Amino acid sequence: MISLELAKEKRTGIIQILLITGLIGALYVLLNYKVRGDALLNMPISPMDALLTQLYGMIMILNVFALIVATCITFNMEYSGLAIKKMYILPTCLWKMYLSKFLIIIGGFLIAVIIQNAALLWIGYTKLEGGMFQMGMLMKYSIYTYITSLPVISFMLLISSAIDKIWVTLGTGVAGFLSAMALSQTQSPVIQLHPFLLMFKPAMGSTAEINVYTIIVSLIETGLYFAIGAILLERKNLE
Amino acid sequence: MNDKKASDVRRTYGKNQKEHRIYSSVDNSQDYIITTRGLTKRYKNFTSVNKVSINVKKGSIYGLLGPNGAGKSTTMKMLLGLTEPTSGKFEIDGLRMPSDRIEILEEIGSFIESPSYYPNLTGRENLDIIRRILNLKERDVDEALKIVGLTEFADRLVKKYSLGMKQRLGLAGALIGKPPILILDEPTNGLDPAGIHEIRNLIKQLPKIYDCTILISSHLLSEIELLADDIGILNHGRLLYEGTIDALKEEAKMQGLETDNLEDIFLTIVTEDNYARMKRAAL
Repeated sequence: MISLELAKEKRTGIIQILLITGLIGALYVLLNYKVRGDALLNMPISPMDALLTQLYGMIMILNVFALIVATCITFNMEYSGLAIKKMYILPTCLWKMYLSKFLIIIGGFLIAVIIQNAALLWIGYTKLEGGMFQMGMLMKYSIYTYITSLPVISFMLLISSAIDKIWVTLGTGVAGFLSAMALSQTQSPVIQLHPFLLMFKPAMGSTAEINVYTIIVSLIETGLYFAIGAILLERKNLE
Repeated sequence: MNDKKASDVRRTYGKNQKEHRIYSSVDNSQDYIITTRGLTKRYKNFTSVNKVSINVKKGSIYGLLGPNGAGKSTTMKMLLGLTEPTSGKFEIDGLRMPSDRIEILEEIGSFIESPSYYPNLTGRENLDIIRRILNLKERDVDEALKIVGLTEFADRLVKKYSLGMKQRLGLAGALIGKPPILILDEPTNGLDPAGIHEIRNLIKQLPKIYDCTILISSHLLSEIELLADDIGILNHGRLLYEGTIDALKEEAKMQGLETDNLEDIFLTIVTEDNYARMKRAAL
């Protein structure tokens, strides 16, 4: 099913968007360090915390917009020529199609995150002296930022599959991003469940500490949005 | 195939605008591949399909005829599982929705309302997606393209296709793999006269070449007359007539109508039904 979805996604640019985001993110890390590397390392926090948290904010913004665009295109290609209607009258399971689309995006995004973190790894190995670089910390933080991004993917895929107008999906993504920005300082436990806010979490602290609660909530939300999206797609009325 | 003994020949129109039903002698030996019983689709305050019972013989071409909004597409959508019936039931080759959805869809090639395609892919790539889902051979794509006359444009992006070419691609998507049942909803819409003639001839030959059954809808009686073995006339969701065209002519003759022009018979049936509906509404 994944190879079939990849064949459908030909010329849509979904994979390219995610890979380019990875490359731009890596370039940003390298350029940022070149321009203000000394300032970063002289901050009143540990060099590793500075390296990870101070650069993640911009990378996260890049990633969130790439994910919004990629998820929008994923289902827009099904709706724009009504190909989705054909899928409903072919002997195939719609939830498998949904799962394949989800796996392709999280797979493409994983590659982007690896590229971005490869740049951090290079800086860590070459610029942080005296054993200040901690590979384990970089790995943990990368996995943490990846997991906290999953709810956005899952949520946006749900919106993209449920609404056939790409501008509504895109608008929902932008609104999600802006509302998370506005609510980032709010302490309400309910607002903390905002999928975009979960993605913001690693960028909001000045230490690269892993919040287990945020990880658990992210995984639950990812599963929940995925299940809702897959069920809605199976039951979608195409009349 | 043009069997006058078609079973369940039924009509619900009649003299003096009174509703009555006549059932012909039922030939139980007939092998029906699609049967619906009291199929109904009701929306909030509108009944799109009202207790429709049709019988499609195996290996025949069955034409669903009716004006726009008669319920032809909705009936077909129910058969394909695109929309759930409010009540009633149907069987396709002994299988039922939704429990046998995959098995039913494996047997059916369909084209509903308008062509469905991925605009970012070429015609060939679009058919290849369908081929992979149906586990067919690669040569089936070329064969389907050839049948609908799209071989020359196979590697062009579908977003650059004309409406007629998209329509042909939709037909190729239905024909690929030679399914035993074809459900075609107004398949000649958007085609030029030459294209209509070509596709019509192709559809007419399909049951002989592929040994398949075709359920086709149209609002053009002339088209159905040239294609179908049996017809079902729908109006406002109700089945007004089911049987052969010859039987319909016979019936019209008995009622003193001109039988030379089938379009006139069709219009009389529909107009009488509309009049009866108006009278019922007034009461």
